[in-house]
Amino acid sequence: MSATTFGWLILLCPLVGTVVIAVGFARLGRAAGWIGTLAIALSFAASVGAFLGLLSHSPEHRELTSSLWDYAVSAGVDARLSILVDPLSIYMALVVSGVSTLIHLYSVAYMRSDRGYSRFFAYLNYFVFSMLLLVLAGNFILLIIGWAFVGAASYLLISYWYRRTTATRAGIKAFVINVAGDVGLVLGTFFLFRHTGTVDFLKTFAAVPHVFHHNSTDLVAASLLLLLGAFAKSAQVPLHTWLPDAMEGPTPVSALIHAATMVTAGVYLIARMHPLFELASTAADVAAIGGCLTLVIAATIALVQVDLKRVIAYSTMSQIGYMIMGVSVGAYSAGLFHLMTHAFFKALLFMAAGSIISAMGNVQSLDRMGGFRRALPFTFVAFVIGGLTLSGLPPFSGWLSKDDIIGFLDHRGGGFLILGIFGYLGALLTAVYTFRMIFRAFFGDPVPEALELEHGHLHHADVPRNPLTGEEEDTDVGFPGPEHQIAEREWPMRLAMGTLAMLAVIGGALQIPGVDDAVTRFLEPTFRNSRFLHTQVSLGAAWIGLIIGAGIALSGIAIAYAIWIRSPATAVSLRERFAPVHRFLFAKWYFDELIDYVVVRPVLWFGQFAQSVLERVVVGGAITGGGTGIVRAGSAVVRRAQTGFLRYYAALMVVGVSAVALYFLISAA
Amino acid sequence: MTLSILIWLPSAIALVACLAPRRLTGVAAAAGSLLTLAAAIYFVADFKTGHAGLQFVTDQVWVSALGVHYKLGLDGLNVVLVLLATVLFSVSLTYAAFREWDRPRLFYFHFGLAESAVLGAFCAQDLALFVAFFDLMLIPFYFLIGMWGTGARVRATTKLVIYTLVGSFFMLAAAIATGALAASEHHTGIDFAFSALRALPLSHASQEWIFLCFAVAFLVKMPLVPFHGWLADGYKAMPIPAVAVFSSILSKVAAYGFLRVVLPLFPYATVHFQTLMLLIALASILWGTTLAFTTPDARLVVAYSSVAQLGFITLGIFSLRSQGGQGAILQMVNHALVTAPMFFIVAALAARAGGSEDLREMGGIAFRAPVLATLFLIVALATLAMPGSSNFIGEFMIMLGVFRAKLAIALIASVGIIGAAVYALRIYIRSMHNRVGRGVVSREIRLSELAGVAPLIAVILVLAFYPQFVLKRSEPSVNASIAATVLSPLRVASR
Repeated sequence: MSATTFGWLILLCPLVGTVVIAVGFARLGRAAGWIGTLAIALSFAASVGAFLGLLSHSPEHRELTSSLWDYAVSAGVDARLSILVDPLSIYMALVVSGVSTLIHLYSVAYMRSDRGYSRFFAYLNYFVFSMLLLVLAGNFILLIIGWAFVGAASYLLISYWYRRTTATRAGIKAFVINVAGDVGLVLGTFFLFRHTGTVDFLKTFAAVPHVFHHNSTDLVAASLLLLLGAFAKSAQVPLHTWLPDAMEGPTPVSALIHAATMVTAGVYLIARMHPLFELASTAADVAAIGGCLTLVIAATIALVQVDLKRVIAYSTMSQIGYMIMGVSVGAYSAGLFHLMTHAFFKALLFMAAGSIISAMGNVQSLDRMGGFRRALPFTFVAFVIGGLTLSGLPPFSGWLSKDDIIGFLDHRGGGFLILGIFGYLGALLTAVYTFRMIFRAFFGDPVPEALELEHGHLHHADVPRNPLTGEEEDTDVGFPGPEHQIAEREWPMRLAMGTLAMLAVIGGALQIPGVDDAVTRFLEPTFRNSRFLHTQVSLGAAWIGLIIGAGIALSGIAIAYAIWIRSPATAVSLRERFAPVHRFLFAKWYFDELIDYVVVRPVLWFGQFAQSVLERVVVGGAITGGGTGIVRAGSAVVRRAQTGFLRYYAALMVVGVSAVALYFLISAA
Repeated sequence: MTLSILIWLPSAIALVACLAPRRLTGVAAAAGSLLTLAAAIYFVADFKTGHAGLQFVTDQVWVSALGVHYKLGLDGLNVVLVLLATVLFSVSLTYAAFREWDRPRLFYFHFGLAESAVLGAFCAQDLALFVAFFDLMLIPFYFLIGMWGTGARVRATTKLVIYTLVGSFFMLAAAIATGALAASEHHTGIDFAFSALRALPLSHASQEWIFLCFAVAFLVKMPLVPFHGWLADGYKAMPIPAVAVFSSILSKVAAYGFLRVVLPLFPYATVHFQTLMLLIALASILWGTTLAFTTPDARLVVAYSSVAQLGFITLGIFSLRSQGGQGAILQMVNHALVTAPMFFIVAALAARAGGSEDLREMGGIAFRAPVLATLFLIVALATLAMPGSSNFIGEFMIMLGVFRAKLAIALIASVGIIGAAVYALRIYIRSMHNRVGRGVVSREIRLSELAGVAPLIAVILVLAFYPQFVLKRSEPSVNASIAATVLSPLRVASR
């Protein structure tokens, strides 16, 4: 089979999975989970098939397209149902379907006691289909469709426990911010279409150098609008506020959508659109600065948050900041390499966090956790591996991939050097907040939940309450499960976490300076026209960067050790001494409040005003009332219409028109 | 088979259905409407795509002294809309047939008459005939509200009658003037056929006031801001099958009128008033969206969202670009397909929330109704023009047209796209999700409700995979209508 046939199969498997589970939801029962997992595993197999198919072509012929039918071909728009199979899309498909398979496997056990089990897997399969559509799309229309579908899937899964008002509120917030991003993509496409006259990727890329000058206005506008979409989807400042709230979804969802795959779509988009961004260097610089800001801001917030999942969510934002920075300055393979290693270790961290949260009876606060080292040994090891990789300690993969990006920035020099220095600062903060989590959750005195697990009992939470609102949970829809789904008891969870842990450790071997550069070589055909194709960091500089990175990671861990293990009182005294800073960071730099006061409240206020005053007084009163008054004054007939004459009047019209129709029928015959 | 059969079949069926026992009138009317649907399918299947000209033409002189023709025909502008109308009438009648109505014979007779009038207005190729059908189509609805309506039906009927009668008056005057002035300015005999009128362009001054008269009639009918004063009361009072047809089909006749009558016959005035019309459309988008996400009434959410959607359609038409026109036609189809099931679903929600259509009394309905929840979700996502639905392609083409015509308006209108996400999800979440409302009894969708919702969702899904079905049929005719304005002197002068 050709690579493009495999490309279609990659999409077909999860789509069939979605439909089968959705249609058979009432009868499938627990089989739904396995069907869903199988569908994604087949999709991964097809990705491997497409990968091998691509390798059988010579490097310059690794850009294949295939179309099914005309989707919207009219008035100059040439949207066909077409996919683009090239190294970049297959690389993404491999990462997405591979990680998704493991997370499905994890969910089979983790979600077992949930009442919406088959609904969960239908949504999850739908998400994977959408994400694969996004990366395989061959034109802007299909890209936007995949882009919006992942947003919808994300919404559905954030609001999965739909009777929690916090979950539905988080869902609509995520959806609306993402729709704003979709609109950015649409308008960006218009700006390109105005000059290129096509929505097809390859035709656009071929035309761009001929129809645009360097930094020409429309091209920069198009690139910035595409960036709006990328930033909304990838939760970059200031469009990031939905991501921490998205942690309302079940933990496997956080692992899959809000860490490993969907939120990296912005990185993919910039890499895919690199011919545009290289020509619109202003937009590329904006992207790089935005990524840099995000990586620092998110890391500072992660230092003080107490919700375990939210700390990891801020960490995700921060890591995606690195990737965005990387692909915006031309370090494509480095950014995409970090995307892959991040998918491994961040999914692993979320899975481990899910195991703790389950053990805690759905309590997520770090303040309540402690001493889980002995109660959850497997989870502990997995979390530490994930944490070390995230911190960038040698020889874990995160060490290699993060420094790949920073090394490239330093190599380009000038202003990019400043970004690189912020990258190092972020790395230090990363190590601190990561080990803050580890030290607080696994070390110290065991909490009652941990003790009970150690002694073999089940701890049952009393009446579960929503941590944000204090409302009693409505458990009818399955939240929260009455049992503890922890990795120590469930083999599918252990298998998924073990595989990811292994990948997180050895994944870096694909790309070691001076040893191997498999990722760069595989992706090269996609970026063969790039200005930065031959920009290479010298071997010596790369290793110096790696050593600095390792030093920073170690010092970060040492700081965390000093604060939270050696003298636990330090944390409290630091918090008191820097109370305003702590408050500022704890309030997440007040971004939510800012958006609330600038956008949400004015719009709602105007809506209420329009509803209660303008519509009633102006439209209802002045226009309708005035109009009625004039007509009433002028016509006795209409005045009488109100007193029952109307019916006769209308009947008269029916008779009249019927008579005319009859006249015609007769005269025509 | 001629188009006359298609047009008059619904009325004939309604008369025959009156002969059936009272209990079976509905079933007979619904079954008969399928016959009309089959006839429409026959015409669409036989329709040759790729031609701008009229097909299946019937042309007879009706009133020779006045130059009025009984002329019918199909081209790209109306062929899909005719099919759409028969689909929507069949579904609404099926939905109605599951329910009990007072005086059922009269009820179904009005439906049949309305369908004939709508099909006539779509097929008419003579201005006088178009006006006659346009007015005829309103009469059954006066009755449907006045006699079978709920709530403040007297006030609703009065408002509707006054608004639409004023609109009709303007249109009648404008139509007569068009024929008379064309004849006198060019010293020929009077002739109301579109083809004849197109050949006799009016002077600029005449075009301007005639354009405004037609615009008022159409804008009232759609309705757009600020002519929507009758909307809230009217939609609230209408029985559900009537409001489904009214908002899905009757509003489209007005939008279609712009493409069929106004653009080709008054090209100068169209270009002259382009900005005004775009601004009215823009105001409608923003106003409709704002009201839709603040009103607590589920039915009014759908009603106001229609104002916003028709704003988009008008925006597309008056972009005067082929993308905008194509998008407008596609969006007429899409909007009809989502708004009707929305009304059926609102009725289903009310049945589960103790009869109230107030969103504040709903909540948590999804629990025992997964099928209802899924269908509602599909419709809600299509309503907000989620990419992947055909609605998205319609909106994309419209916005592309406006983008090329007036960039600033396109940028402001895109706020309406975001707003649509808010109101569509809001009605979904407030009714299906969150805490269970007082008086809410969650139960699965019933056959009688499914009869209205399921067929239309099937069409929505099919079109989502293949919006080209509409686009390829309408393209040549839309281009012809748009081209008429491109060649107008003002546009040339402004270049």
